[in-house]
Amino acid sequence: MIKVTKLDKSFKDTKVLNGISTEIVKGEVVAVIGPSGSGKSTFLRCLNGLEIPTAGEVKVSEVPISNKSLNEIRVKTGMVFQHFHLFPHLTVIDNLTFAPIHVKGIDKHEAESQALELLESVGLSDKKGAYPNHLSGGQKQRVAIARALAMKPEIMLFDEPTSALDPEMVKEVLDVMKKLTHTGMTMVVVTHEMGFAREVADKILFLDHGSIVEEALPSKFFSKPETLRAQDFLHKVL
Amino acid sequence: MSDILPSIPFIIKGIGVTLQFVIVSGILGFLIGVLLALAKLGKKSISKVLADAYTSFFRGTPLILQLVYVYFVIPQVTPWDITAFAAGVIAFSLNSAAYVSEIIRAGIQAVDKGQFEAAKALNVPYRTMMRKIILPQAIKYILPALMNEYITLLKESAVVSVIGAMDIMRRAQIVSADTFNYLGPLTVALVIYFLMVRILTFFGAKLEQRMSFSD
Repeated sequence: MIKVTKLDKSFKDTKVLNGISTEIVKGEVVAVIGPSGSGKSTFLRCLNGLEIPTAGEVKVSEVPISNKSLNEIRVKTGMVFQHFHLFPHLTVIDNLTFAPIHVKGIDKHEAESQALELLESVGLSDKKGAYPNHLSGGQKQRVAIARALAMKPEIMLFDEPTSALDPEMVKEVLDVMKKLTHTGMTMVVVTHEMGFAREVADKILFLDHGSIVEEALPSKFFSKPETLRAQDFLHKVL
Repeated sequence: MSDILPSIPFIIKGIGVTLQFVIVSGILGFLIGVLLALAKLGKKSISKVLADAYTSFFRGTPLILQLVYVYFVIPQVTPWDITAFAAGVIAFSLNSAAYVSEIIRAGIQAVDKGQFEAAKALNVPYRTMMRKIILPQAIKYILPALMNEYITLLKESAVVSVIGAMDIMRRAQIVSADTFNYLGPLTVALVIYFLMVRILTFFGAKLEQRMSFSD
């Protein structure tokens, strides 16, 4: 589904990603963890072309990402941001129907009925007419997930989806994400929620200084990390 | 003071002339300003350079000189015998566009970068993103500064009197010259301009209130 080969990414003189290679298969849930500044978010943003690699290749469903293929890639990927980035001037339902109507050209009524189903599935049917600024953080993030899903992506990318939330709201968002894993969605999740990674992920990518230091099953990674750096990291966060 | 009373309606008639200048130039200036702002924010470096050069030229030379230039140079170098109204509208809208473009550029750049990214991630085309997502949010930052620009335009429109357009200012001067009374007519003109600006400010504040519905 996603194939990353020798991916490098630099911003001016700073090398953020350094020779990353990995493969993510269809239906796999991958948790990307690591210390802050390790390049996790940049890695994720390379998967839908929000960042264009300095060197190396990212292929999504066999299509290499380039400035020309961005549309093709982004149709297949949905993204959820740490700070939600809902459209504040649109109501919840309009946030969900915006891209289906304006990008896919879906009829308004159909888009709305799909949006209502999605709102139902994230438990926010009663908020359809509300503006984002009137929602709690957890509610905003659930709307953001529904908004991404409204485009029917094959892959969902999550960039620290619970890091900006108050602690009591983390669970409601993780619950929605867990539910999503049961649908067979391919998911790449940058997260600091070790419990979630351990319980839900099929694979852990541990990044440090822009490289994949360890790639392992969660059961193995959390009980017997191979590298010193992973051991050190887990020691600090657990 | 009483000797200028019969002249007051004559001065008041200038309101229509002044408004014509301001409204037509305001609309044209806004449209050109939007285009310039998009050029400044766009990817093409040629249009960026041109838009920046445009702005620095119109901000870097006196408005009154631009006006006089349009009014006297166009008939000299082209067959067009330009009217004072046309010259005023051309000078004011081109000049205002320079300021409007800066206001809009700053307003768009004030919108959270995440909004652009969210739109990109949803594959929203650039034009749709600007029209439906970015501009409706930028308008909140743009509107107060834009109101200032229109107040400036309204007041500065008084310089069209130098090319003989019969606006409030010019009419006040004519009455002054006729009656040798400066206090009366010029005070009347002051009061008219002041009230017009107050009214404009009032509607501007109303509009700003309405824009804050989603806060």
